[in-house]
Amino acid sequence: MTTRSMRRRIAALAAAAVLLAAAACTDSPGDAGTVKVGLLVSLSGTYTTVGEDMQRGFKLYLDTHGGKLGGRKVDLIVGDEGDGPATAVPAAQKLLERDRVVALTGLVGGATVDKVQTLTTAKKIPLVGANARPAFAPVGGKARDLTYTWHTSYNSDEPGIAIASHIKAQVGDGEVYAIGPDYQGGYDELRGFTDTFTKLGGKLANPDGKTVFTPFPTTENFLPYLNKAAQEKPKAVYTFYAGAAAVAFVKQYAQSDLKDVPLYAAGFLTEGSVLTAQGPAATGIRNVLNYSPTLPNPANQQFVAAWSAAGHTGQPTTFAMASYDAAAVLDRALAAVDGDVTGEELNKAIGEVGRIVSPRGDWQFEPTEHRPVQRWYLREVKADGPVLSNVLVQDLTTLPAS
Amino acid sequence: MDAYLIPAVDGVAYGLLLAIAAAGLTVAFGAGGVLNLAHGTLIAAGGYVAAATSSGTWTGLVLAVLAATVAGAAGGGVLAAATAALRGRGHLDQALLTFGLALAGGDLLTTVYGPDTLRPRLPAVLQATVTVGGHRYPVDRLAVLGIAVVVCAAGYVLLHRTRAGRLVRATVDDRAMVAGIGVNPRLVDASVLVTAGALAGLAGALSTPILGVGPGTADTVLLLSLIVVVCGRLGSVPGAVAAALAVGVVQTLGVTTFPTVAPYLLTGAMAAVLLARRTGLPAQARP
Repeated sequence: MTTRSMRRRIAALAAAAVLLAAAACTDSPGDAGTVKVGLLVSLSGTYTTVGEDMQRGFKLYLDTHGGKLGGRKVDLIVGDEGDGPATAVPAAQKLLERDRVVALTGLVGGATVDKVQTLTTAKKIPLVGANARPAFAPVGGKARDLTYTWHTSYNSDEPGIAIASHIKAQVGDGEVYAIGPDYQGGYDELRGFTDTFTKLGGKLANPDGKTVFTPFPTTENFLPYLNKAAQEKPKAVYTFYAGAAAVAFVKQYAQSDLKDVPLYAAGFLTEGSVLTAQGPAATGIRNVLNYSPTLPNPANQQFVAAWSAAGHTGQPTTFAMASYDAAAVLDRALAAVDGDVTGEELNKAIGEVGRIVSPRGDWQFEPTEHRPVQRWYLREVKADGPVLSNVLVQDLTTLPAS
Repeated sequence: MDAYLIPAVDGVAYGLLLAIAAAGLTVAFGAGGVLNLAHGTLIAAGGYVAAATSSGTWTGLVLAVLAATVAGAAGGGVLAAATAALRGRGHLDQALLTFGLALAGGDLLTTVYGPDTLRPRLPAVLQATVTVGGHRYPVDRLAVLGIAVVVCAAGYVLLHRTRAGRLVRATVDDRAMVAGIGVNPRLVDASVLVTAGALAGLAGALSTPILGVGPGTADTVLLLSLIVVVCGRLGSVPGAVAAALAVGVVQTLGVTTFPTVAPYLLTGAMAAVLLARRTGLPAQARP
């Protein structure tokens, strides 16, 4: 390409960019009866199945409520989060700046939430996250402003906190081996368990007492790690993996020297489509989550029935449930806003939604941290009729403890 | 010593898998002169085809392996046709073309087979474990190890002990001379790419029981294969086997022995090999 034609092309590109920006600025606000809601989930990459599940959950609520939230027609704009911030941040910027959504929901990964949270806060748009919530690191020495940040899911360290005392009771004086993936979600999940477990007097079987983190997403060959762990002769193993890595981990666990050592996990290890792929290798894994499709409350029975009626294969997951609840929160909050919806007004209304009737059992937002105060359940992978399911074993605890 | 036995066996099994994967790449580059960045996609395609064909029976397994190999070979044929037009235009053009094909092919695979990681259904015998030196070890990995040894040996014999192999090696050294004895060097190039594709498909079928095949497979195996090819010298099958074994062992023993530096071990090893050898890559590719 000659210098001149190059210059001409750059000029053309710049002109196009200016035109696009101008078009975005003059975009007229939609008619008063319609609101734009942004749903940002992984539609490609490692956690695609989780993202698709969340999308199904949100849409299920919309479809069973006439396509409306709070009496307003909803224009749901879906963005692809991909594998993390690198793809998620531009997608979030597009939803916030070009599409001018009044609320952003979804968000699969903890690292994504960490980055996107600052964008939505700056724009004063409520972020109603429906999956991982990281421990927000301070920015510029100041604690994060959580005014506009809400989650219908959980803090990533809560599964581990909820199950620690149960595991301590099961292993007695025995040691537990902790292993997880080397990224933010893995740190949060494993820290929740190891901190609480050691506080209760438990001992980790890991040499030097530190959790083993496996490279993510590059390692799916877990056998060397598992056989190495077996040498420490742990009484039980605690882990967290999700998606494709969870399938590989569970299958290889059943083939390793650890086969007969009880495996405990954050419930994501056996949640959703991964459980089908794991098959019989997953049987007997005890895990903790804020939801089980076998919970006997009426809201859940309705939810499970609607899920099947919508033609989705398998049982609903915690991912679908939390996204369904995000829609329920927005429904209640939008109903409380008069006239045009602004981020600030909607956010204030979210703070006043009160108790949410949910398939997981009723819950409400913790007033300062904006995450659910909810029950956690111990589940075990068992055959439930012809399919494997995370069957409810017992209630564990309510978190965050007041 | 006992502590390292299982990871070492595992490393060899993994290494031999990589050897088959990288053999296709190194033969295509070294002998066919084509820098094929779609090689990982061919491996993923083989894996998907195998996973979709398998049915849990022995017949199903044999069919799956054959189907994957044929699919890989067909992919190699497409690449041969696509790159034939680029002969003599340098490796950058080839890299761009094959990378584009890899992107399109990868997208096609996810569209057809979905975003989930797939695994083939194996006969029950292969899903069991046996005891090796007092440790549990999966039968499917031992089976892969056995097949990989056979394939590597066959590949070596084919390239170094048969007329076809001599022709391929001669084409690398002196295309004009090969043409002079009445063989079309372009035909040799094409058959090399088809063979490399078949090896890729086979590697895909063999690796799926262990690693599964998903949207990330193509990139991961291409990267590992490139490392193997760079460490094992271009176009050398024994070199690829040796380097692949080293990579396999580094990947399995390394991650458990030096967990903190594990992510850097491979690239570190490659850097060390390159520094020690100090020969330019293009010079080797086009002798």
